[in-house]
Amino acid sequence: MSALGAAKPAAGGAIDPVSSVVGLVLAVIFIGIVFVLAPAALFPLLGIILGGVLIGFGVHFVPVGGAPAAMGQAPGIATGVAMLAAGAGLAGLFGGAWAAELGVVVATVTGAIGGGLMMAVTCLMVNVIYVFGMGIPAASGKVTKDPLTGDTQAEYKSQGTEGHGLPFISFVGGVVGGLFGGGGGTLIYLMLLQVYEQYLPVIFNAKVEEIMPVAVSLAGIFAIGLFLVNAVLAAYNITGTIEGPHDPKFKRFPRAIVASLVASALCGLVAILIVVVNLNI
Amino acid sequence: MVENIVFGIGITALAGALAAVAGAAEDTESDIGSQGDPNSQVQLAPQMGFIHRIFNKAVAGEPPAYGLWCALGAGLAWIFLIKDINPILALILGATIATFVQGVYATSGYLGRTASLAKFGQPVYIDILKSMLSVTMAHAFVAIFTTVAMCYLMNAVLGHPFPLPILGLIWGIALGAAGSATGNPFYGKERQYQNQKFGAGVPISASGNIVRYAEAGQRNSLDNGWFSAKLGGPASGICFGLIVFLELWRTILFEHIAAGWGAIIVGLAVILVFVVIDRWVEVYARKNYGPYTVAEEASS
Amino acid sequence: MTAQITVTEGGIPHNTLMIYGLISSLVGIYLTYLNTVTGTQLFSFFGGLGAVAALIWGSSTIKRLCSYGIGTGVPSAGMLAFGSGVIAMLLATKFGIASPIVALVLGLVIGAILGYIANNILAMKIPVMIQSIAELAAVGALVMIGFTAMTTGSFTFSPLSVIPVTVLGATVNSFGTSLIGGGLLAAIFMLGSIALQHGFNACLGPSEKQDRTLMLTAEVGFLSMLMVAIFSFAFIGVGAMIVSVLISAIGWYYTYAQYITLSKRDAAAWLDSKPIVEAEGH
Repeated sequence: MSALGAAKPAAGGAIDPVSSVVGLVLAVIFIGIVFVLAPAALFPLLGIILGGVLIGFGVHFVPVGGAPAAMGQAPGIATGVAMLAAGAGLAGLFGGAWAAELGVVVATVTGAIGGGLMMAVTCLMVNVIYVFGMGIPAASGKVTKDPLTGDTQAEYKSQGTEGHGLPFISFVGGVVGGLFGGGGGTLIYLMLLQVYEQYLPVIFNAKVEEIMPVAVSLAGIFAIGLFLVNAVLAAYNITGTIEGPHDPKFKRFPRAIVASLVASALCGLVAILIVVVNLNI
Repeated sequence: MVENIVFGIGITALAGALAAVAGAAEDTESDIGSQGDPNSQVQLAPQMGFIHRIFNKAVAGEPPAYGLWCALGAGLAWIFLIKDINPILALILGATIATFVQGVYATSGYLGRTASLAKFGQPVYIDILKSMLSVTMAHAFVAIFTTVAMCYLMNAVLGHPFPLPILGLIWGIALGAAGSATGNPFYGKERQYQNQKFGAGVPISASGNIVRYAEAGQRNSLDNGWFSAKLGGPASGICFGLIVFLELWRTILFEHIAAGWGAIIVGLAVILVFVVIDRWVEVYARKNYGPYTVAEEASS
Repeated sequence: MTAQITVTEGGIPHNTLMIYGLISSLVGIYLTYLNTVTGTQLFSFFGGLGAVAALIWGSSTIKRLCSYGIGTGVPSAGMLAFGSGVIAMLLATKFGIASPIVALVLGLVIGAILGYIANNILAMKIPVMIQSIAELAAVGALVMIGFTAMTTGSFTFSPLSVIPVTVLGATVNSFGTSLIGGGLLAAIFMLGSIALQHGFNACLGPSEKQDRTLMLTAEVGFLSMLMVAIFSFAFIGVGAMIVSVLISAIGWYYTYAQYITLSKRDAAAWLDSKPIVEAEGH
């Protein structure tokens, strides 16, 4: 779409080995800093990284068509990928944060289900509008057959378009993306909450119950910030639009995982340092 | 205990109803203002030689924009609550001031985009601002107030740990995501390209040729809101209402069963139900509408 | 097919704007320290002025970055900037008087690493990517710290998390009513990130002009500042709050009027209740 179209990302999913290794080394350094300064926060940091990777991976499943989808010119949901993923992931975070006292596993799964539920409702309504509001069946432009149902796609694609609506594989992709996003966001939140519950009472010389509002808000804000960083980076990786797991662009996900890993390690390190660094000034 | 659950279900239903109103108002607002992805066509039309009288409100996409309006409304309401102002009044004041911000953003978005289209001869129609601004602001107020009120219920009554502004941000973004996903195609394809074939996507070659004349006179964005308020708006309302209602419902009723796994299993079951419905809708369309290109009488 | 993002040349060079924005932002945020020196809260509004300066710088950066076509919308850049900026800013608040400078440096470092990730690992291959994301993260951190300073009159971690409240003669610490504990940071986050991207996003098009774009950024910056002034109602004295509201309102009104004048200057025509002017050949 660029006026200066020279800067198109490489079409394939090739990983740039040099920069990936540099990135991984950076990530190891970040983890090492936490290990030296606050060994107790090491596992939470690994959890944050896992959460970030889940988000970055999950965004690749979410079928987003961008502007052309709003005219039925391309399949997918007609909005921005980063923000749609954020909508689902944060709805999941809402559920996960509510279940925080039930333990990490239950809360993370609850968050994942929250994200999946949001995407299931949204994707269904997209298809309902297309089918009952506009009389347009779903068709993919990237594959000839739906890999899940085996439905042929090409003849359901109206003339002059790249497809429209959400074929079943895209619907499933949306739900899976919501599951990953909601689970990842919740995991980041829970890990940070754990760290803050441990350190903040010492800093403020107060009881855990007293500092809970600060711990919850800090963890919530950081989870949202980390979510947005990972979602936008993944959106850059797929250059804005993707049909779902059957889209050739999906194969680019390995480098997004490396990217999310490094970015989450960095942001997680900073988020942990805020309670570890104590200069008393 | 039972009373608590009954009370919780009542609040859940109320929150779901507020969310449904919010979704409907949000989509109608964004269609009158012409926001989000369908606005790319309003932006493109003058370049293709089609001068028009449609609002061209470029304020980010709907999710970030509603993230701002709702987080701001919730933040202001939180400030007033801290200052011991009556909750109802605090919510209304917060939503009103947030609506003012929305209105200012809407005017600057229209003026900016339109002035930057001077090369293609698109004039600024100042009467569009005068007549449409109040209508988008009214819809935005409904959407913001209901969302912030819903967040207040979640925080104060249902006991969600997140403070009000963070809930406003989360549900504002989710509201924008649900509303734009559901409502955008209906406005973008069905209304802007009413001159194209029904039951088919807009051919890429037709891009920019949006409908600019109405039954009588010239079409403006109020006509578009009138149209999308009939299906796109309510559908967005159902979408966001279902999201909020089901999320709260499964938590309130089933969270205490099997140490939290109850809510998870119910959530999973609901997702599966939606998967089945979606497959049914897809097959329904394929059977009843038929393919476009096969010469046989498949479509009748 | 959608409209293309085009960028017009001319105007003040980006680097000049960046230096001006950076210096005035830091100076503005540091002037809130007059609060501590004089023992009042009247100087809180300087934080908002610093944030507006940073937003203008960031707007120019976004224009420079988005001219390369980043594949997704302009707003995503604002989200990335503030998502990383808020993380940098919160750590920076731990450094006392050095906080604003630490916020700037941390923002630049985090942004540079994220830019490297986007540019090299994700192979976006945009020449200005690393520098732009670094600048944007720094802008995000500075805007957050500026608006925070304006809300509470302070930019260090403890006053942002704890508010001493006198209950029945005894002083207790209230965490839930503080800026961080109440989650007000979320509202400031959105006020900053939408204002950052709005200038370029709303003015993009073939006839975009730098002065109009930046004036719009200043306008929404002052609008955000006005909202932040209302936020300060809960944290600083009424007198200081009125000073903040008045200054933001004057700044907003002036820039808004200027922006409308500039739009009138650039528009093809300024019509009231006139029919569609058909372009030639249609």
